[in-house]
Amino acid sequence: MEKARDDFIISIRSAFLKKGNKQKFSLLSLILFSIIFLILGSFNFKIINFNKTIIKEIIYYSSFIVNVPENFIKRSLTKTTDHFEYYNDYLIVKKELQRLRNRDLEKKIITFENIELKKLIDDYFVEDSQTYARVLTDKESPFLRSIVINKGSKNGVKAGMVIYDDIYLIGKVVEVNFLTSRVLLISDINSKIPVTIQPLNTQGIMSGLDKQTGQLQYIKEDKLINKDGKELIVVTSGSGGIFKSGIPIGKINLRDILGNKQYIIVNFYTDFSQLKYVKILSHTKENLNFDKSIKENYELNNDQIFEMNSQKENIKVLQQQKIINDEVRLKFELDNTRLKEILINTQKKLEEQNKRIKEDQKKNKNLEFLELNLLYGHKCRKNFFKPKLFTIKTDEYRNCVLNKGLIKKN
Amino acid sequence: MINTNKKIQYFLYHYTPAILLYVSILSEIDFNNSEFKYFSFNFAYILIFHYSLKREGSIGYILIFIAGLFNDVVNGIPMGISSLCYLLLCAAAAYLRNITLRPNIIKDWLFFLITVMILNLITFVYLIFFFDYKINYFDQLINTIFTFLLYLIFTNLFKIYDNIILGKFN
Repeated sequence: MEKARDDFIISIRSAFLKKGNKQKFSLLSLILFSIIFLILGSFNFKIINFNKTIIKEIIYYSSFIVNVPENFIKRSLTKTTDHFEYYNDYLIVKKELQRLRNRDLEKKIITFENIELKKLIDDYFVEDSQTYARVLTDKESPFLRSIVINKGSKNGVKAGMVIYDDIYLIGKVVEVNFLTSRVLLISDINSKIPVTIQPLNTQGIMSGLDKQTGQLQYIKEDKLINKDGKELIVVTSGSGGIFKSGIPIGKINLRDILGNKQYIIVNFYTDFSQLKYVKILSHTKENLNFDKSIKENYELNNDQIFEMNSQKENIKVLQQQKIINDEVRLKFELDNTRLKEILINTQKKLEEQNKRIKEDQKKNKNLEFLELNLLYGHKCRKNFFKPKLFTIKTDEYRNCVLNKGLIKKN
Repeated sequence: MINTNKKIQYFLYHYTPAILLYVSILSEIDFNNSEFKYFSFNFAYILIFHYSLKREGSIGYILIFIAGLFNDVVNGIPMGISSLCYLLLCAAAAYLRNITLRPNIIKDWLFFLITVMILNLITFVYLIFFFDYKINYFDQLINTIFTFLLYLIFTNLFKIYDNIILGKFN
């Protein structure tokens, strides 16, 4: 027992105290050192903290150096995968770009058509002048539904000019001074704007109700029932010639229509309490600004459009003709097939009848032979007394019977 | 040319354990705190125990001590605790080596399990009582189990590596 304990102690002592050839410290001393490290680490001494910081700095830099190859491999892998992802994205973006280009082209064509159609109904306006102005009135002024701007007749502002906040209609100039002007906002109860409700294309008049809303007048609720469930947008109709058509004003809340409200309320796009800068625009009809070259271009365009339309009409007629021709051709083909069938059937019948006729003829001949055989057989039959005549069932006998006996030679 | 080859082989044989130890500690690929919830193991324990047991002095005690400090800083735990554990692991390996007459891998393996459990106990006690750390015991259990299980695989891999190098060396 004691020997075993001695062996254990010797082994332990050897493990903790024995130093190898290259070992400068024994395990025990290093264990004690780490315990001291731990104990000192729990105290907040300046020197210890400073040493800790140095050690940490060294370790962080070492860690950074050790991780260089690993990070390089990681980065390379990420780059490679990113490259493939980018390529896939590129293909998607390329498709999307093509789609958008097509859409853009369609949009351009539609815009062009829209302009041309507007020109046809003499409703196409171009911007004559554009000025920006600062709003001078303060929010708490008694003229809350009108604003005063810092541009007047000196800057070319005229009564009736249209005032925008970005692209949205906010009012028109009603009073022009030398340096300032007053703008009647569409939220004012006195402003009566002819509007169109899209996409229903319903016409109405809108006047202001309060700061952020207007009300539709002279319009029945049942005219605003939108089966598609799309949002109803209010734009200027252009009636009266004060505003050009299609300027966005606001939208109608469907719930307001469904509810039992007295008015149909339009929620303006613009927040009138936050107006700081506005755009003053005047519009004129395009033909007023035409110079000679533009007129020529316009005429040329018109000619081209006319030509294109006539070509379109021709193509339509040709297409219809083609359809009719196709139908006729189809009918003929069907008739042809039917007639062919009839012909084949008739031929078959004819053949059958020919066959029958031939059989009948044959039968008739046989009957005739049999009749003549009864009458004239004895004149042709060979016997003891008439050896020169013919044997029965031979062709000569048959010919003889059919000739009603022997033909006498001259 | 032959001298150069011998030098390379000598270097690989003698310094690979230390390099592996430091790379495993400093590298971002840390098996001890792996991304998987149910898989982690302490590679440093396996490496230190194997080389302390099979090749005494292949990793110097000072290097192990410094590696422990590095590990503490990298993992953000109080400095000295890993050093203490690594050195105790070396001591356990040295004790096992002293008392072993006929080496048996299963005995080494079981001894390694007991040692790792004692070291984890010391770490937990120290971290909980002195530094008020919160430890997820389930994760630590998973870590201990995988460290124990993978010891057998890694010790064989290390042996194969040593044999390859020695074969070339001889």
